[in-house]
Amino acid sequence: MTADATSVRRWPVRPRPRPRELALLAVVAPTLLLGFATLRTQQLAAAGTDRLTLGDPVVPALYLGLLFAAHAILTLAGRQTDQVLLPAVGLLGGLGLLLMERLPPSLVVQRFGPLELGLGSLQLLWLGLALAIIAAFGVLVRSDTWLRLYKYSWAAAGIALLLAVFVLGHEVNGARLTLCLGPVCGQPSELLKVILVVFLAGYLSENRALLASRRSRLGPLGLPPLQHLLPMLATWAIALAIVIVQRDLGAALLFFAIFLTLLYVATARWSDVALGLILFVAGSAALYLLLPHVRTRIDIWLDPWAQAQGAGYQTVRALYAFGRGGILGTGLGAGLPQVGDVPAIPAVHTDFAFTALAEETGYLGSLAILATYAVLVERGLRIAARSADDFRALLAAGLTLVIGIQAVIIVGGNARLIPLTGITAPFLSYGGSSLLANAVAVGLLLALSDRGVALPPPPRRPAAERLVAGLRAAGDRVERAIT
Amino acid sequence: MSAGRSPYDTAPPVAAAILRVGLALLIAFGALAVGIARWQVWEAEALTMAPDDPLVLAAQRSAPRGPIVDTRGVVLAETELVGGEARRHYRSVAAAPILGYWSPVFGTSGLERAYDAELIGLAGGSPSEALLRKFERSPYDPATLHLSIDLRLQEKAAQLLGADRGAIVAIEPATGRILALVSSPGYDASRIADPAEGPAYFATLREDPASPLLDRATQGLYVPGSVLKVATALAALDSGAVAPETIFRDQPAEERTGHVVEGFRVRDGHHPMTGDRALDLRRAIEVSCNIYFARTAVLLGGERFRAWGTVAGFDAPIPLELPTAASQLTDRPPGPNGGFRDDAELANAGYGQAQVLVTPLQMALLAAAVANDGVAMRPHLVDAVEWSDGSRRATAPEAWRRIAAPTSAAVVREAMQQAVEGRWGRAFAGAAKVPGVPTAGKSGTAELGGSGEPHSWFIGFAPVEGARIAVAVVVEHGGRGAERAVPLAGELMAFYLGLGR
Repeated sequence: MTADATSVRRWPVRPRPRPRELALLAVVAPTLLLGFATLRTQQLAAAGTDRLTLGDPVVPALYLGLLFAAHAILTLAGRQTDQVLLPAVGLLGGLGLLLMERLPPSLVVQRFGPLELGLGSLQLLWLGLALAIIAAFGVLVRSDTWLRLYKYSWAAAGIALLLAVFVLGHEVNGARLTLCLGPVCGQPSELLKVILVVFLAGYLSENRALLASRRSRLGPLGLPPLQHLLPMLATWAIALAIVIVQRDLGAALLFFAIFLTLLYVATARWSDVALGLILFVAGSAALYLLLPHVRTRIDIWLDPWAQAQGAGYQTVRALYAFGRGGILGTGLGAGLPQVGDVPAIPAVHTDFAFTALAEETGYLGSLAILATYAVLVERGLRIAARSADDFRALLAAGLTLVIGIQAVIIVGGNARLIPLTGITAPFLSYGGSSLLANAVAVGLLLALSDRGVALPPPPRRPAAERLVAGLRAAGDRVERAIT
Repeated sequence: MSAGRSPYDTAPPVAAAILRVGLALLIAFGALAVGIARWQVWEAEALTMAPDDPLVLAAQRSAPRGPIVDTRGVVLAETELVGGEARRHYRSVAAAPILGYWSPVFGTSGLERAYDAELIGLAGGSPSEALLRKFERSPYDPATLHLSIDLRLQEKAAQLLGADRGAIVAIEPATGRILALVSSPGYDASRIADPAEGPAYFATLREDPASPLLDRATQGLYVPGSVLKVATALAALDSGAVAPETIFRDQPAEERTGHVVEGFRVRDGHHPMTGDRALDLRRAIEVSCNIYFARTAVLLGGERFRAWGTVAGFDAPIPLELPTAASQLTDRPPGPNGGFRDDAELANAGYGQAQVLVTPLQMALLAAAVANDGVAMRPHLVDAVEWSDGSRRATAPEAWRRIAAPTSAAVVREAMQQAVEGRWGRAFAGAAKVPGVPTAGKSGTAELGGSGEPHSWFIGFAPVEGARIAVAVVVEHGGRGAERAVPLAGELMAFYLGLGR
């Protein structure tokens, strides 16, 4: 085939049909169309007209068009990549779009020159970009060296991003998360979680053997060599800093959970996880005692009804919404996520997207959304387990965890299983940064899943890393001399 | 390069750990599914019916709301759409303490609050019906509330109380159906529901020192005075502390000087009538002998008195569709001597003074239980909830508590009949007699300490056997029982027994 590829320059790859993806999309598309038709019919009925309608076909047509375009591009690219990720993301994104179309457009309004876009149109725009990213990564990313080799550069970029937010960030709703470049604002912590995974995959895959060895002890816990504990402590400190400076409990929880899980994947040592959990409990207890906003969150979680009109308002409203939904749901458009133009649950489009969909589609809908997330996680971990080397395995597992753990944290928060934190439900919630960052994760997973590409040769270490390795070896010798 | 197996393509050792991570996430998703089921399946109905969800109220501003009707189908409350806005109309001011109000501004109270979800139509009859409704234009199916109240009796009771502050509760003893429940002064719920007039009127009601918004019948706590002797008698007879024939030999002598308990002197006023005769339990109830019941209470002991009270409904709110206050025999938590400080408090509690506080509802339940062979039926106001398809959720009569043995109840029943119809009793409670119908009852005069007229009390029932109505009447500062509450109750019971069904 390589001979053909060189002779036919115009199109170096052969299209390869993706029948599974097409079949799944053929289920997703009518599901979403039915959803949009139901929504429009209900909206007309509420306005006093009894008529079945497909309503305004532009939004669903554009979205499904983009979805199938992504499928077409992946088909033309001819790579043997995963065929379930795109339909799963497409379903979640479509459900989110359905919700944003249903909420009052004035919840979020953004101006691009003369163009003024409301909530639904903006979400469609972000979804389009997200699908473009997924397709682009799925087609173009063929090597992982740019991630593998420059892990410290990525770490530095991530920390720089974090510091930029600390220093230059804007405060929105009491959390300092937003960074603006000209007219475009984003939440860098969304991208940071992907960068964290890239760094951890590089660091952990390189130091697996060392980390798994036991040379120091702390009571009953065997510990990795002390200098390798530093990354754990550093991540812990960064997570604490995020809570304290950015007041972003969700991101901190997500970061630390990803870190601990990846550490476990790399070392298969429960003791490391136990140590991390001890750090987590200690940190949480300290934050609970020291920071009023953390305490409020926990108190609301324990008893939202105690301050149903105050701090617990959001949570209590959300529980009522779950209750109204019941098993079968109120029906799309028939729930009460808003009264007039006021959202019933504050921040319903970001923090409570899952709850709003659960109200209108019922417990069955909730299960369906959970199942879709579970499918994403299963595919991601499958890609990880099948990976050819440790870096790829850890990278794929980490990217999967970004989506899986985030879903668990926000859905658990919505359902009052854990304290509520203000992070998004992946692909459901409104939010450009969140959608784009999750799209990067899925795009990379797609690229990593390619079964037709052989491994790159073992990379040569760049000079900086050789230096670090040398220093580490020196450190080891010093430690050996001491003990 | 073609797709060949590379030398690196072996199963990576991380695969086992990844599998475990996958299992952990699977468990987490399972936990989420269970956690969501808690809200969407198990607690869904309770959450939907929560009356303090302002959203539901707001959504209902323009939606129909089910009517509330009395036992004969007379409409007590209904909703009319005025220019797209729902307006609630109430037929009778007298029914306000039961129905409460519905207002887009002030929310709900009373049965409007307790049955908000049913009246809105969020709480459906059957699950299949609820499913079918999803395909209709409005997801709501407002239900009709059928009350046990008879509006004629309700209005009669309110009219008898007139401008006086007080409360009346009338119960059907065999079923626990509440026939009338009046609190005075009341308010006009239609005016609260009126968006134009509501705010000013509501502000007036709130500032009124007579607290018209307080439902005195279920939440008013009153010193009971002598009507509580019925309770002391039941408790003492049930425990065996006294028998119907028990007499206290010192009692006639003490009538002149007072009976001293730990320095406190219990006094009486009936000796001009009874002279030197030692009274047995029936006679003591008939003439309302304080000394007899002070001694009975001490003989009974605080612990047994308190324990009986807890069974009879004291110490906890009585279950009803409306919020109720808890009656008390003493203001202290249970402990040695049942929480009574000393025998002086206990002796005074025996005839309804000291720290005893009761709701009119509790007293009506007591009278009804005496009439019903010692069994208090669970009181209720709503006979049935009926949906548009004809499906009903009816309230079946249900025994709530046995508060006395049938024999004890029979003795007290006879004594209460004597208290209304007996040679001596007539002077106290004769005015409660329903002409031609055997009537039983007990009057009470609740001394409040300090100056001011005492509260005037009566509890009773008629006919004595197979009673159809039991009442509790309290008129604040109405004077002695015989002056106000007794004749009022007599007229009310006569009115009810004279009504055609």
